[in-house]
This record gives sequence, C-alpha cells and structure tokens, in this order.
Amino acid sequence: MGKLLDVKDLAISFQTCFGEIEAIRGISFHINKGETVAIVGESGCGKSVMSGSLVQLLQMPPAYYKSGKILFQGEDIVQKSEKEMRDIRGNKISMIFQDPVTSLNPTMKIGKQIIEGIVKHQDLNKDEARKKTIEMLELVSIPQPEKRVVQYPHELSIGMCQRIMIAIAMVSNPELLIADEPTTALDVTVQAQILDIMKGIQNKLGTSIILITHDLGIVADMSDRVIIMYAGKFVEEGNVMEIFNNPMHPYTGKLLGSVPRLNMSRSESLHSIEGSPPDLYKPPAGCPFFDRCDKAMYICEHNMPKRNYHSDTHYSCCWLNCPMAKDTAEGNEI
Amino acid sequence: MKRPLISVRNLKKYFNVGRGKFLKAVDGISFDIYPGETFGLVGESGCGKSTAGRTIIRLYEPTDGETIFNDKNIYDLSRNEMRKFRRDFQMIFQNPYASLDPRMPVRDIVAEPLDIHNIYSNSNERRRRVIELLNLVGLDEKHADRFPHEFSGGQRQRIGIARALALNPKFIVCDEPMSALDVSIQAQIANLLKDLQRNLGLTYLFIAHDLSIVRYMSDRVGVMYLGHIIELADSGDLYDNPIHPYTQALLSAIPIPNPQEQRNKHRIVLGGDVPSPINPKENCRFEGRCPYVLDVCKKKEPRLREVKKNHFVACHRANEIIGGMLN
Repeated sequence: MGKLLDVKDLAISFQTCFGEIEAIRGISFHINKGETVAIVGESGCGKSVMSGSLVQLLQMPPAYYKSGKILFQGEDIVQKSEKEMRDIRGNKISMIFQDPVTSLNPTMKIGKQIIEGIVKHQDLNKDEARKKTIEMLELVSIPQPEKRVVQYPHELSIGMCQRIMIAIAMVSNPELLIADEPTTALDVTVQAQILDIMKGIQNKLGTSIILITHDLGIVADMSDRVIIMYAGKFVEEGNVMEIFNNPMHPYTGKLLGSVPRLNMSRSESLHSIEGSPPDLYKPPAGCPFFDRCDKAMYICEHNMPKRNYHSDTHYSCCWLNCPMAKDTAEGNEI
Repeated sequence: MKRPLISVRNLKKYFNVGRGKFLKAVDGISFDIYPGETFGLVGESGCGKSTAGRTIIRLYEPTDGETIFNDKNIYDLSRNEMRKFRRDFQMIFQNPYASLDPRMPVRDIVAEPLDIHNIYSNSNERRRRVIELLNLVGLDEKHADRFPHEFSGGQRQRIGIARALALNPKFIVCDEPMSALDVSIQAQIANLLKDLQRNLGLTYLFIAHDLSIVRYMSDRVGVMYLGHIIELADSGDLYDNPIHPYTQALLSAIPIPNPQEQRNKHRIVLGGDVPSPINPKENCRFEGRCPYVLDVCKKKEPRLREVKKNHFVACHRANEIIGGMLN
C-alpha cells in the first residue's frame, strides 16, 4: 500500500487581536490507500482545523500555515494556489460535514447540487450527468431517486440530507474522503445506516477515509488506525486493536474509561477527567495533558515528550513510556 | 408498596400546526416516578421526550391528561398555587450556552430562584447560600462574580445545576444535560448528578437520546417513539432483554467502544425514517419499519401492557418475541 497522504510536521496558527492561537502544533501522519483513519479528540483540540487545512478550507488570514508539508500524491497542498486547489477539492479530496442541513444550499434542487460537481470535474453532457446523478443516489441507498432530484433539502430528513452530502462528495470518485463528525447530528438508527453506506462505498470504490469524531463507539466500528489528538498535538497513534486494548497514553486510557458501557453496573462511577483542556493562546511548553494527568511528573510540565514506539504502528507521547523511565517506579520523578 | 412522587396519567400535548392539523408530540403517556429514583426517557429526535418533560412540570399546558403530585393534579392549580408547587420542580436544560443569561453574573443567576420566592432578605445570607450551592456543584467562591462567557461548557452546566438546586427541589427534570458536552466532561456531570441524588435525595426525570448514558443514570427507563411509550422496564432488564422490535433495533445501533465486540455483533438496521408526527394514523406507530409487521399492526394500536413483571411493552407480538418464536 502506498501513502496517499503524507503530512509532515504541520503547524497552523490563527492571528487574532489577542495574539497567536496555536491550533495545530506540529503533527505528522500518513494515510494509506483504502484505509480508514480516525482522529479522535475533544472539542477545541484542533481536529476540524486540521481537516480543513488538508483542502485549504481555512480562511487565511486569520489562519496561516506556520510550518510543515501536506503531500497528497507527492504534491504539497500548502504550496497550491486557489485555482489549483479547485481541481483537487471535490475531485480528488472530498469532505462531508457535521450538519448536512446547513451544508446543502436550501434554494437549489438536490439534483442540481449533485450535477454541479459532475459538470465541474467531468467531461459529461447533460443527459450523462443526469444519469450519473441517479446512479450516485442509488449508491447511497436513496429510494426513488428520480423523485428526489427535483426536491429541495427542506423536504428531506436529516439522514437523507447526509446521504445527499455523501453522494455529492463521491461523484468524482475521490481518492480521499474527509468525514468531519459525519453522524454527530443524527440519531443512532440513522447513524447506523450512514456508517453502513460509508463502509459499502469504501469496499466498492477503495476510497481512503479520514474520520473525525469524538465517539469512540464509531471509531471501534469503522477505523483501521486511530490517532488521539489533544490540544493541537497527536498524543497517541496505533491500529484500532492497539488503541482499545492497550492504550499507552494516560489521556487515551481516561477517555476510554469515561464512556459508559452498556454492561456497566450502575454503582460503578465513570472515570471523569477533571479540569478542562489548556488554552491554545499560550499552550504549555511541556505535555499539554500534565495538569489533568494523575501520573504527571516534574518533567511533564516543562518538556514535551517525544514519540515512544511500542510497535511498528503504535506510538505514544508520554514520559512514562520513555525508555529512560523504565527503571523508576510509576509516578516517581525521573 | 411505595407511593409514587409523581404520577403521569394519559398525558397528551398536541401542537396546532394550522389547517386543522395537529402535531401529536406526546400522545397519551402514563408512568409513575418513585421518590429517590431516576426515571429515564429515551428516544430519537422528534419522539416527544422533551415535550413530555416540559409538560410534566407545566412549562407547556397539556392538551389532556394529568400529573399528580402531592395528591393534586398540577394542571388544576391556579397561577399562585403553581408558583408554590414550582419550588419542588426544577429543570436542567440541554444547552448550557443558551440557558444562562449572558449579562448576569453567576451569583445572580444562581440566586434568581431565591429572589423570585423571596427566601432571603439579607444579602449576606443570600451570598452565603450562593456559595454553598456553588461548592455543592464543584465550583467555588471566586466564580460567583464572573459572567457565563468566562466558563467552559462543563462549568456552565454546573452553574445550571446549582440554580436548579437553589430551592431544595424534590424533583428535577434533566433534559439532555450532557449532550452538548465532551465525553470527558459528560462523565464529570454524570458523576455529579449521581452524587447529588445520593446526598440530597433527589428524584430525576432523565431525558436523553444517548442510550448508554441513560442506562448508566436510570433505575427505570421508558422508550418513546412518535409520542408513545412503547416499552418501559427496569433499566437492566430493558437493556439485557429488549422486547419491542424498535427497542431491539435502537440498542443494536449503539456503537460499542470495543472493536472486537462491535465488529462481531449483529446490527439490526432499520429501513426508512421516523414518520411525521403530524396527524399520525391510529395504528402501531412503528408499523412501517417493523420487521415483524402483521395486518393487525396496521389496524389497531397496541396498548402498553405488562408482559413480564415490571416490564411493559406496546406490541401485538410481544409474547411471540419473548417466546423466541420470531427471529
């Protein structure tokens, strides 16, 4: 499997009247062809900024790329002009967003919104484009597609609108689909339908998916690899079994413990994480999690831990997992 | 036999949407809530669970039905009597960003119920009570003079809880209190609500769409679908042995945060969407999506009946499902 997307040391900041907000602080990762990578984190950790930056959807200014490269099929997205981006966005890389109702244009018929993307990126005449539209609606399991193309978004349910969004995203058969919280606005039974559709499309077309979510259940269901993000940094990455069965970063462990499980007894209390994430206006120099971590040591406050690899695919950024920490008992200072 | 704190009987709330049509948000629900317990109400958006919660504490006037509290039907009370009753009912709202007045400092937000009921004439006593309440929810004195925008979502929800506790209520309606919060913060609020219940002997009506949180919080759970309660049971029993086909589908749709289990489980994917609650037909509301549908389901509305001890289901084929004859 080749690398489809290779992000190297990406940093993004926002210039505001109070100073610089460091939303993304040096992240590196890659996406292989045909795999699903989940990026998990709490609100404000920078996951949506990161996904927007991959297709230059951030408003610049105030946002700006501070450093790093985003290599998509070997070409650096950061260096692309807006004109060049238009050939990539919606064509090779597509996005679906959290709220399907506001993402669709309320004054345009469904069919026209789908055809827009086809006409832009493909050399098809009107009839062929219309046929392709119906095909796309069938791909996302919309009943009676001929009837739907002449309807407006307000005539459809939210779940139906999200399927239209997926159809629009998939028209030009993109290599990469970025799904930013695709089911957060949906009910569980509809969520199950949408996740099934996304899996089906991936099996059929071999699309790579970046799935941004905070729902660990969806992560367990959908992803091959998982990246845990906290305060603009990646703190742990591994394949899905490694993350769920053997979390190495204290934040990952606590995140997993804070979700109520269906088989949990009512007298058990949830492991809450006290406090709240740091302000990215002046982010801490050391580990961003140190003030909420019950295993924090002196070094954590002042020095950012590097990646410690536990297997070829699994790393965590925590001083406890540093090879030098092996000899000290847990919680003692180095 | 324990006496219920609140009895809801055949409660209905219709909204007139014009042209002789009615949106039947809540269409005849009945249940009891016992002192000290948490009664959970789950369902998907539009099923009427929030309307039910609001009608029970008379934020909406009901179309029909009664809610009995202290041997009185609260809908018969006059404005003045209702104000006295309201001291015992409070509500925690879903969106902590919208439910706190942005121009009021926290001390006034928390003390507003105290002021309305003229509890304290002395400002020192009032302040002492505010600080006591803030401490109760894990905030402290220094927060009292700040404004809502200075707090994070979890802290704002704590302020909302402090306000709800100000008058020592007996009964609190929690309407999706965690759904606007991050998972790690949700756990903080869940633990706080449980601690408060234990220490202050509160009774909750807990409304949420997140089934795993409802299971964690509630003693008994009612599942709503299009204005009806279709299943009602002890929370353990409901989650382990769901009977109504809708409950089964709903539970199987929850993604489990464990890759081995999640990928091996059988998921019932329902076709279609929830039908419109405007002028629904007088048959089983789930009929169009149910895998076990019969002719009788299309003609007659099933009543909520006790099929096992303390386990109520509104389904014509409940007995067959219990017997394992349908699979």
